[in-house]
Parts: sequence; C-alpha cells; structure tokens
Amino acid sequence: MTAIAHEPHRPNQTHAEVTRDVLATLSTPSRGYYMALFTAIFMFLVGLFTFVMLLKEGLGLAGYTPPVMWSVYITTFVFWIGIGHAGTLISAILFLFRSPWRTVVYRSTEAMTVFAVMTAALFPIIHIGRQWIFYWLLPYPNERFLWPNFKSPLLWDVFAITTYFTVSTTFLIVGLIPDVSAIRDKVTGWRHKVYKMFSLGWTGADSQWRHYNKAYIYLAALATPLVLSVHSVVSWDFAMAIIPGWHGTIFAPYFVAGAIYSGIGMVLTLLIPLRKVLKLEHMMTDYHFDNLAKLTLLTGSILFYAYAMEYFVAWYSGNAFEQTTFWRRAFGPMWWAGWSMIICNAFVSQLLWFKKIRTNLTALFIISLFINLGMWFERFVIIASSLSNDYLPGAWQNPVVTWADWGILIGSFGWFFMYFLLFARTFPVVAIQEVKEMIPFPRKHGGGH
Amino acid sequence: MKDETQSIDRRRFLTVLGVTGAGTAALTGCSTGKVEKLIPYLVQDEDQVPGIPTWYASTCTECSAGCGVHVKTREARAIKLEGNPNHPINAGTLCHRGQAALQGLYNPGRTKGPMVREDATRKDLTWDEAIGRLAQQLTAAQGKVAVISGAGPGTFSDLLAAWTSALGGRLVRYEAFDRSPERAANRQVFGLDELPVFDFAQARFIVSFGADFLETWGPVVEQQRGFAQAHGFNGQGMAKMVYAGPRMNLTALNADQWHPITPGSEAALALAMANVILSERSSAPADANALAATLSAWTPEKAAEATGMTAESVRQLAREFASASPGLAVAGGIGAQHRGAIEVAAAVNLLNYVAGNVGRTVKFGAGLPATDGYGAMEELIAAMNAGQISVLLVHDTNPAYTLPKSTKFAEAMAKVPFKVSTSLFLDETAAASDLLLPNHHALERWDDLAARAGVRGLMQPVMTPVFKTMHTGDVLLKASQKAGGVLAQFNATSFEAHLKQRWSGLARGGDPAQFWRDALQRGGLYEEPAPSPGVRLSANVPTYRPTDLPTFDGPGEFVFLPVPSSMYHDGRGANRPWLLENPDPVTKITWGSWIELHPETARRLDVRDGEVLRLRSPHGEVAAPAYVYPGVHPGAVAMPLGLGHTEYGQYAKGLGANALDLLGAQDGNGFLPYVSVKVDVEKTREYHQLARTDGNPRQLGRHIAEAMPLDHAQKGWTVEESLKQEGHERHEVNTEREHVALEGFREKQIEKQKLGAYAEEHPRWGMAIDLAKCTGCSSCVTACYSENNIPWVGYENVTRGREMSWMRIERYWEGGTEPGEAFGARVIPMLCQHCENAPCEPVCPVYASYHTADGLNGQVYNRCVGTRYCSNNCPYKVRYFNWFPFAKRSFESPLDLQLNPEVTVRARGVMEKCTFCVQRIRGAQHQARLEDRPLRDGDVVTACQQACPSGAIVFGNVTDPESRVAKAKENHREYHVLEDTNVRSSITYLAKVHA
Amino acid sequence: MRKLVVIGGVAGLVAIGVLVPALNLTGAQPQPAADSTTAPRLAVADSANLKGPRQPIFFRHDIHAGQLKVQCQYCHYTVGKSSEPGIPSVETCMGCHMAVVGSDSTHRAEIRKLRQFWNDRADTAKPKLEWTRIHTLARHVHFPHMRHIKAMGPNACQTCHGDVARMPQVFKVNNVNNMGFCISCHLQRKVTRDCTACHF
Repeated sequence: MTAIAHEPHRPNQTHAEVTRDVLATLSTPSRGYYMALFTAIFMFLVGLFTFVMLLKEGLGLAGYTPPVMWSVYITTFVFWIGIGHAGTLISAILFLFRSPWRTVVYRSTEAMTVFAVMTAALFPIIHIGRQWIFYWLLPYPNERFLWPNFKSPLLWDVFAITTYFTVSTTFLIVGLIPDVSAIRDKVTGWRHKVYKMFSLGWTGADSQWRHYNKAYIYLAALATPLVLSVHSVVSWDFAMAIIPGWHGTIFAPYFVAGAIYSGIGMVLTLLIPLRKVLKLEHMMTDYHFDNLAKLTLLTGSILFYAYAMEYFVAWYSGNAFEQTTFWRRAFGPMWWAGWSMIICNAFVSQLLWFKKIRTNLTALFIISLFINLGMWFERFVIIASSLSNDYLPGAWQNPVVTWADWGILIGSFGWFFMYFLLFARTFPVVAIQEVKEMIPFPRKHGGGH
Repeated sequence: MKDETQSIDRRRFLTVLGVTGAGTAALTGCSTGKVEKLIPYLVQDEDQVPGIPTWYASTCTECSAGCGVHVKTREARAIKLEGNPNHPINAGTLCHRGQAALQGLYNPGRTKGPMVREDATRKDLTWDEAIGRLAQQLTAAQGKVAVISGAGPGTFSDLLAAWTSALGGRLVRYEAFDRSPERAANRQVFGLDELPVFDFAQARFIVSFGADFLETWGPVVEQQRGFAQAHGFNGQGMAKMVYAGPRMNLTALNADQWHPITPGSEAALALAMANVILSERSSAPADANALAATLSAWTPEKAAEATGMTAESVRQLAREFASASPGLAVAGGIGAQHRGAIEVAAAVNLLNYVAGNVGRTVKFGAGLPATDGYGAMEELIAAMNAGQISVLLVHDTNPAYTLPKSTKFAEAMAKVPFKVSTSLFLDETAAASDLLLPNHHALERWDDLAARAGVRGLMQPVMTPVFKTMHTGDVLLKASQKAGGVLAQFNATSFEAHLKQRWSGLARGGDPAQFWRDALQRGGLYEEPAPSPGVRLSANVPTYRPTDLPTFDGPGEFVFLPVPSSMYHDGRGANRPWLLENPDPVTKITWGSWIELHPETARRLDVRDGEVLRLRSPHGEVAAPAYVYPGVHPGAVAMPLGLGHTEYGQYAKGLGANALDLLGAQDGNGFLPYVSVKVDVEKTREYHQLARTDGNPRQLGRHIAEAMPLDHAQKGWTVEESLKQEGHERHEVNTEREHVALEGFREKQIEKQKLGAYAEEHPRWGMAIDLAKCTGCSSCVTACYSENNIPWVGYENVTRGREMSWMRIERYWEGGTEPGEAFGARVIPMLCQHCENAPCEPVCPVYASYHTADGLNGQVYNRCVGTRYCSNNCPYKVRYFNWFPFAKRSFESPLDLQLNPEVTVRARGVMEKCTFCVQRIRGAQHQARLEDRPLRDGDVVTACQQACPSGAIVFGNVTDPESRVAKAKENHREYHVLEDTNVRSSITYLAKVHA
Repeated sequence: MRKLVVIGGVAGLVAIGVLVPALNLTGAQPQPAADSTTAPRLAVADSANLKGPRQPIFFRHDIHAGQLKVQCQYCHYTVGKSSEPGIPSVETCMGCHMAVVGSDSTHRAEIRKLRQFWNDRADTAKPKLEWTRIHTLARHVHFPHMRHIKAMGPNACQTCHGDVARMPQVFKVNNVNNMGFCISCHLQRKVTRDCTACHF
C-alpha cells in the first residue's frame, strides 16, 4: 500500500476500500439499527393515530387558543422545510462552487432534504380545518369557475413546496445512478432487479458519463435558486401579514439563514451517529465536520444579527404594537420560549469560534441538538407568541400545547427518521464514484486494483 | 305521546319545505344520498306561507317588566323574539333574557308531559289521569290547600286567586326579586302602596343608590332606553349619572362618577343630600319644611363618616343634584337589599321630594300590583311545618331554589302530603313535587299580563306545543269540573274562552270581536294613564335616626354582596346556554360563579385570580374561584346569584355555586334582606380557571374605546383635538408622506377593483355605533346568536378563547391601578368591521373570504377549507373557527327547531363571522325587487341594531347621503378603531362622552 | 400571476365546453311519444317503467299541466312570492277532486287514494301523504324562487325542472344541486355571480 499524497479532503483510502466500506453499509444491519427503525415507525404510528383523531373530532384537539390560530403544526412545518435547505446547499451550491469537502457528506444531506420536504408537505394538509378538501388549494379547472387566490401566500407555499420536492427528488435519484449500478453488479435476486431499475441501464460508458455530468450540473443549477426562494416564500406567509412580529422586510433572508442553520444542525445530528454506526470514520473526518461547523457558525451569526435587528427595528419604529410584541417576547408570559430561541441559536452557535469545539464531535453533536431545539422554538415564538398578543388587547390569549400537538410533532420525526434509516440501508450514503474521483490513481506497481 | 311526536315530526318535515340549515349536515353539502320526503299540509294554514316568516305579537314573561314581543315564526315554529314597537315599555327592543325565552321554549330539559312520583320514580300519566288525581286530592284536602304563584298580574292570576279562595286555601304571590321595600317606603313617605315609573329620559342628573336599573331592577329595557336618551350626548348636552354603592355593577360602570360607599350607608348619603338641599333652599317644595326635623340630624359630615366619602363631595353632589332640574334619584334592587332597604328607599323618596322631582321624573299612578313578599312566604312555611297544608300547588316560580336553604322551605315542603308543580322544567321545586302538570310555554298559550296600570299585554299560542303540556288555566278548569262542589262555579269551557270573555269586558262598546282582533294584533291594550298629580308627603313620615344603619349577621370580616346577575336573574336564566355563554357585562365571566375581591383584600390574603375560595357565614358556606378587581368595596366580597342549581336541567344542574346558601332566613320586615351577612374568606389553594372572555382588560393606550369630556364634545371637537387637549396625543405611526402614499395606494386599489360587477353601482353597507349610548348590556350578543344560528361552545372551549360570539362587547378598565385613583371602565361592541381594505381577503387561498360588490366582507362557508389565515391577519380578531362540530351539540333536539332557516349552520372546520346579517340584506333586496322599487333607508335592520335598547347602533347604505348611517358618520365624535392599520373599517364608532 | 389566471381560465372554458352540453338544459322526455295536448293512457303499474321515483299517488303532471293546461302556480302557489315553491295542500287537490272523479279506472284508483288521505285528515294515527322529493338543494345554498319567476316569467319553471308538462312521472332533468348548472345560466344571462347572492 503506497503512500498517497494527503490533502485533508481526500479520504485516506484506495478505490477498493471505498467501495468495500460503502457497500458494507448495505450488509445485514445491526440490532441497534433495527431498534432505531422500529422506534421511528412507532413514533410515526403515534402521529398517524393523532391525525385520525383530528379527522374524527376536529382540530380543537390541538392547543389552539384564538387568536393563536396557528401554533405547533405550522411551527413544525416551517421547521422541516428549513431542515431541507442545508441539504440542497451542500449538494448543489457547494458542488457548483467546487467545494471539495462536500463530496463525502452530500448524499446523506440530499436524502435528508427530500425526506424533510416530504415531512413538511404533510402539514398544510394536517393543519387545515377540512383536511378532506385540501385539493381545493390546487388550481384545477371546474364547472363552478372557481380558482384559488393567487394573491395568497399560502398558495405560493403550495407551489414552492411541490417545486422543491420535485427538483430535490430528481437531483437525488440522478445522483444515485452510478452508485446504484455499482451495487447492482454486486447483488443478486430481487434486489438486483430493484437496483437495476434505479440504475437506468447505466454501464459507465464515457458517453454516459459525459451526459451524466452535464445533467448533474444543470440540476444543481436548478436546485440552487430554490435554496433561497423556497424559504423566502415560506417566510412571506408571515411577512405578508399585518401582525406585529410578522410584518417585517427582514424576514426572507432571516428565514433562509435560519433554514440553513437548522439544516446543518440536523445534518450534524444525523451524520455524527451515522458515521459511527456505518463505520465511515475513514471518509468522514474531522475536516468535514470542521467545515460544517464553520457554516453553522456563519449562519448562526447571521441569525444573531437578525434577532438583534428585529428588536432594534421594533424599538426604532416607535410602533407601539411592534414594541409590545417584542417586549412580551422577552418578558411576557412566553418568555421561556423567547429566551430558549435566543440562547440556543444566537449564543450557542458562537461557541463554534473555537476549533477545539468544532473538531470535538461530542460537543458538536450536543450543539447540533441545541440548534434543532432552538430553531423549533424560533418558529414557535414567531408564530404563536406574535399571534397571542396583537392589536386588540381584549382578544389576547396565551397558547397551550396539548397531546394532539405532541402527537403530530412526534409523528413527523418518526416519519422522517423512518425514511432516512431505510434509505441508509438501501442506498450508499456516501457517493462512491465521486469519492473515488478524488483518489489519485495508483501507480502501476501500486496496490489498488 | 303519540300525537305530540307526530306534531313534532310534522314540523320537522315542514323544515324540509323551508331551506333550513337544521341538522349539521349543513356543509357536508351537495347530493345527500338519503331520500327526502315532502309532507304537504292537509289544510293550508292561510297565515303560513312556506319560506316567508309570520309574526305574532305576544308578551315576555322572563321577568316582571312585561315587555311586548314580536315572535318570528317560520313553517309554524318560533325562531326569533324581537321587541314590539307599539309597546309603551320596551318600544321595539328586547333584552337578552327576553330573547333567550326561545331556549326556554325548546329547552331539552323541559318536562315532556304530566308525571307522577311514586316511590321515588316518576312515571308518565295521561292528562286525564293527572287531572283526576289533582281533583281527587283537592276534594280530599278540605281547604287545606296552598298555592304559590309567580304568575304576573292578569286574567290567570285573578282566576287563580278566585279559585284558591273558593277552595278556602291560601295564595302566596311570590316573586324572588320583588320590590316590597320600595313599596313600604312609598307607603311611609307618600301613603301610596305602589311603585312609581321613573322617567329617566327627562332626568338631567341621575343618582342611583345601589339600584341596578340597567340590569335586573325594574323594567330595564325601558329604563335603558330612557337612560340612553338622557345620558347619551345629544349634540348640546347630557345628563350626569352618579352611582353610590359598594360594588361596580353594569349601572355603576356606566356612571360618570362611582362612589364605592360602605355597604348599607346609602340612606345616610341620601338624607344628607336632602338635608343640604333643604337647608340651602335651592328647590324644595313648601311642605318639605316638615322634614327639617328629621333631616337636620343628617349632616354631610355624618354621611361622610358613614359612607367613606368626604363631606365636601357629599355637599357638592347635593348641590349639583339640586341645580339640575329635573333630577332623579333611585334606590332599590337586590344588590342593595339590606336590612335598611326601606329606609334607603324612603330617604331617596325624601331626596326626590325635596329636590322637586316627584311628579316630574318620579311618576306615581302606575299602580304596580302587589306581590305578597317574603312575610307571607314565612307564614306559609310555618303553616306547612304545622301540617296545616295537605295540598301545595306551585306555579311559575321556584321557591325551593330562590329561597335560602336557611328558610328550611324544602323541609317544610316535604311535610306536605301532596305537592303539585306546573313548572315547565324539572326545577328544584318540581323535583320535590308528587305531581307534575307542566304548563305551556308563554309562546304556546293564551294568557295576558298587566305589566302596570293601562298596559295589558296579550299572549297567544304561536305554534303547536313542543311537548305534551297543558295550559295550567285549563288544568284548573278541568280539575274544577272533575272535583265539582265549591269548584263547580269555574265552568268556562277553556281558559282561552275565559280570557276572551274577560277581554270583551274591556271593549267598552264597539265590536268585541274586532276589539279582540286589534288587541291581538297590537299585542295587547296600551292606555297608560296620566301620572297621578300632586303627590304630597304623608302626614306622618317616620323619622330616620342615624342609629338606623343596617346590621349584618356573623363575626365575618367582609360584608357579603349577592349580585343579581343580568344573565341568570333569579336563577331562571341558568338553563339557557345563550345566557350562560353571554359573558357577564362587567366581569366578562361565563359558565360559572365567581367571588369578587378588592385587590387590597387579595393582596392581604395572598389570593390570585382563579383560586377557589370558601366563604363562611353563620348560615352556610359556598366555594367559588376568586376574581380580583377594584370594582368592589375593600370591606366586602361579592358573588353572583342564580347559579348552583341542584336540578333544573342538564345545563344548570351543578354549574357554579348558590350564593343564597350564605343568607339567613330572618325577615327584614316584609322582605328578605339579601345583603345581611358577613363572611370569612378561606383559601383552598385549589385553582379553577375562570372562563373569561376579556383577554387583557386594559387598553394599553391603543385608543380602542375612545371618550371625551362633555365640554370638548360641546365645542364640537374631534377625538384627535380632544386627546391633544388632554395632553396625550396619540403617536402617529405613519408620516405625512406615508399617508400620501397610502392614499395613492388606495386610489389604485379602487381603480383595480372596477371590474365586472364591481364597476356597477351598488350600495355600500356600513354601521355607526354610538359609544355614548352603548351601555354594554349585551342584548345585541344574544340577538346575534339567535339570528345567525351561532353555536355555544361551553366552559372548556371558552377557557381557550374559542367562543363564537360574532358580536362581542369588549370591556376595558380605566384607572383604579393605585389606591385613590378613580376606577371606571369603557365598553365597545366589537364585530366584523367589513373593512374596505380587508386584510383577511387577500390571504385566503380559496376566496372563501372576499369582498362583495356592495362592500360586505363576504365569508363563503362552503368554500372555506379552514386555513385560518384570515383570522390571523384580522386586526380585530372577529373571525371565529369551528374547532369541533359545535353546532351538533348546541342545537340538540329540540333546540334545533329554533334555527333560522335563512342562515347556514356552519359545519366543523370552517371559519365564520359577522355578515352584517346578509340574509336580511338579501331578503330586503328580494322584497324591493318584487315590488319594483329601490331599497329604502331602514329596509335593512341588523339583528344587533334591532335589539339594542339604547339605539346605539345604526346600519345602512353609506353611499346614500340621506341615510341615517351616513349622517351618523359625519358626527364630530366619529373615529375608527385601529385606523393606523389602514384597513378602512366600515364601522364608525362615536366616542363616548362623560359628564 | 395574471398569466397563471389566463392559463387556468382557458382550461376552465374547455371544461365548460365539455360539461354544459352534458347538462341537457332542455330535458327532453324520452317517454312514450305524446304530443303536448293528449297524455298517454298509463296505469300505476306503468309508473315502474317510467323515469323518476314512484310516488304514493301516480300524479300525472302531463295530464294536469299538459293536457288540462293548469297553471303551475295554481298548485305551487308561493313560487312567485317566496323562496319556497309551495307544495299544494291536499285541500287544494280536493278543491277539484271533490267533483272530478277521473275519466278511467286507472285515474279513479289514484283519485280514490287522494280522497282516502283527505278523509283521514283528522286521524293523526293514519298515514300522511308523503311525496318523494326529487329536487333537493344543499343546505348551504339559498335559492329564491320568486326572484327567478319575477325575472323569467311565470312559466320559467322548465328552465331548471325540464318540460314537466310532458312527464307522466316527474324525474330529475337537471342536477339543480350542481353549482356549475347555476353559474352557466347566470353567465349566459349576465346576472350576478356574487357568492353571497346564494351562499350565506
């Protein structure tokens, strides 16, 4: 085994080792994996049960307390949409920027994106009053001459989500082709058939590679603007309304930064254990996590700035409604939510200035958990607490959280992890081909093949 | 039961004829699989046209005021009650209790037919058997018969009296909230055994000594109308109102000054004022000198020491009162009925007399007829205990609840071998009775009610009875025939015949048949006599000595103030969800009792809102959650009456606590002294959330309910100018340039809108609400519920703020934050503002919320998918969401028969809100079109406007410069709530004016 | 945005093009060819083979409205003034059928049923006449008959109900409970399409 020139982003392995290690992740799973999977499925069933109850009894089961007409469900919706963004950022944007360290992690983050969007897409249906006619939100010709209202941000949401889902799914599947074919060649029986289907007759011929690379670049280019657009549209659900605490021009960039921040938080939460479980230490090194952490630090700091700006503008505007809202955010009946958002996001992320922490996976993992929590609270604060005290004091009311809220929240996590775990077993979570591309070809007398 | 069920079914089928929303299949909508049947009338009833309401005139029996009502019926079932415009007392409007009579009519808790109790189980009887048993018991009783009747004066009561005396029994006319102390005082002071009519409209200065004349005391609708006329700013001036009493009730809330005087000290204040007036000779009649002896003892200083006011303020109050001519001082009511109640009333009589108001604003000659008062009841209880009563008949009253437990009425009643109740409901008294002979509801029977001299209201059956009930009059007559003997004389074929025969006597020549028809159409006979002139002091006015101040039982620390609730009244309102969910006008609490404490008291006892407190008096104890607010005297605690039923149907039973349990049985000389005990407050450390609807009870300087002092109003200043003068100019959010920009934006919007139907000429509907008139009485709320099929949601959902009241009265406290600061409140009706630039419209993804061409903010229930974005974006928070299938529970049979067929019943998961009564608008437009005429101003009257006793609400087409609403909007007091949001609300509020 | 609307609109129009003919606004009667003056002889038994639900009494609109030219509003007496058309009371039927006994046995049989209902009117225990409802509107729609009669004249009934005068047994010609049916008419006639005209 000859020495290989070492840049940090290059895995310290030969082609054969890479293929072996990655495909190893697809071999018979450990008990730990099954336990994780079944927990996820159980959580999903909890959510399913809750949803059935909502259909049966009515939305009142959830803790809505008018004027808080949106609460945990919309919060969780925004949360998941946000998660998705990091994936696209890493797989598409960093690809276009030719950032080398993405290669190892992008496959899993991209999968995460797809599943996060799949999760988020459930919520517009769950949270409406008459779930059985959700399709009225789609523009379809009908003899009643009725069309949806294209002025409504909710409708923009519908388009944003569907687009995002389509593009990121295509992107993922296309990215998988070469690797799936690699597996196809290794397995037999029905699995062979399945992978054959996914590899779309891939032979690895040069012409195929040429087209493949083009297609991949185009898709990346297509996905890139979505990173910015989708969450901007989501943010307009709020920014377009006249509720103090919602009605802000800062919202689009603020939300996009938050989305990426939370997304990377989730990436870390997923990869650090995954790396252990699937024994990918050789490929996912401190170097990668260090980069992820830096990205977190950047977006976290943007959030810090955004929070500060929100308060500043509220004070500077001299608008009594705005001021009351933000005062109550910090010192009102929901102070606990307000502070957990500021601490978990603005402050905790600042720890990442220290390389020691950036490279200490345990610390990173804990921080990533804080980030997930904090970002969920951020949305909860923006949505519920702003609604709970708007214009007419006589209508104020504090939100409550009931079992139905928890049920759906838990269910959404179950749904997400269920898919992710299944994916991690059936498809290579690391892009074999691209990793190989980074490994210099061994010299004639060298080991390798 | 057979025939009755059929008659119900028949009505149900007829509802199929009407496009009714009955049943909550409402929005599940198109193509229901089941086959519907059409049952044609056998004989077409000529005054019933399917799809067109028929109106009957009748009389309200929900309290003793005797207002006239118009009953709206559709397909032969009553669906709404409105005031009778011809009636001298309520002149076309009606309070919430009156309107809720419908929920009495269709109440699921009604007794479905005659029943007998045998060994603790009740079993149904046929009416024949039932009347048979009654007759047999009556003959057996040998005159040992007693009748307790709450029926108002009129043909029935006379029949009952004659019938009872023929039996040799005793009759007690009992009314829980009767006014015997005032009558006693009038006997003492003027030698008149009657109650005057108070002409609030004429008064220039009103002082109330604990009389809640806007809630339960007297004919509140009439008084409220008068009060609004006097106290509502009319362009030049207004009357001032001062309230002296230990608790801020709705009346005090509307006062320009509230003096929280020591409980029981009203007389001292009144006499001192009289004294000042007399000694200063401002306007006393000659023969008032006789009083000098009595009054001289009552110096302002003495009053100050008794009441806790300053002597100076007493003097000044007296002078103001005397200088305003005429003034009006009123006293009475349960809230101030302590042992000195007669003295208070007498003192106020003297005050009125000295100030020369008697005959001007205090009009005798109405000759309000007698109830027998508490004394008679005590005797009866004694008689029952002594076994002198073997048959007890209780009609139209519920003494087993309305008498404090300490009177031992229930025990005494148990001693009576045979007890008969004619109650419509299974109330406490009925539950203790052996024979139930449920009476018809007032809307199902022939009857009349002599509200006062010259005002005889008629009642006629407006529909076939809902249940297998029978008119008690007929029961008496039939029983008499069965029993024979002394009763044989009562041989009228039916009570209806008896009534007609009695009325033909009133015809005074003319054709009796014609007279009867006219009377029925008019709703009765209204010939009010002129007030008796020259009422003079009686020769021997007793002298009231300062030692006469009332006493309170028990060692307790706090005087206990029972509050006569404007919703539950004496408890009869407790089984009507409309009243249970309509928040108390002052505390904004629904579905339950509460105990009011002053913040100081609360601080001392370390009590927070919602902590369950136990009150102990020598006579009993009750527990209820605490409600802390500065509206109650620090030396007292208050609690509403009317809840804590042990029977009385599913809604009332076990809800809240019964404040009467604390009271003693001791007679306060002819009446029951409600304010007569002191209580100890004990903490339980348990918490029970109050179902409050007031959110944050302060305005936070957001200029929601505006007010200006009288002089500013007289100068014709706008709200802005007035505020500037007051020194707190509202902060302008938008700069001048922004305003210009907004205008430009507006212009563009209007241009943009000019498409299709929106380009054509249309009316634009708008509303003006005069806060100077609005008292916050909440009649409009119930009116809205009954017009628009609004479901009630119940305690749990109200605690989550999910009540559906399209029209709500927001109440904001003013002052009272630090000790010494005057405490008051402002009220403002809040309903959909139908913004021209409505924020709810653009955000709805399916156009369920959209702007109609005639300026309404339309809400299409069957298009709504329930994203609730519209409600989030509504600054006024007037959109209400069906979190559960609320309608299913609210309109359980037979309450569903009340549903208004013109309004869709909203299903679960849709948003709903005030529609400006669009069904009435469309109805008027249809009518106008059929008559080929344009809409006239006044063609469309919204339900809230129709019900408002003070006429604070005006509705109409604002594009028509002649319309009342357009004129009202030009008023200088005009302002819009949350104008800064640039939503262009269609509702203009006129700022309150305080003298 | 506007572009989207246009695209949608086009698609919508296509759909309408497909749907409106399907609505069959004329409601032509596929039953035994009969000119409008003399109705076919049919017995109760035949009503089973006729379109539309069987009714407790085989009431012949084709005889009353067609052959005898009885005005619709003679029986449906409130259609001109109320939102409800008004189902004729048994009394109304008896107004004629006191005297009219029917021209042949089949008719007599039906008229006897009617008289039976009339004679039993006092007895609440006896069954009541129950027509099977043919046109039902969802509860969240308010259809003011009088406005349509006012606008389109007293004989406009068939616009929605089809040529009842030629139906031995009434059947549903148009699904009146279909908003497209209302809208297409309101479009043609250029009258209001405001939601709150019908939905409130």
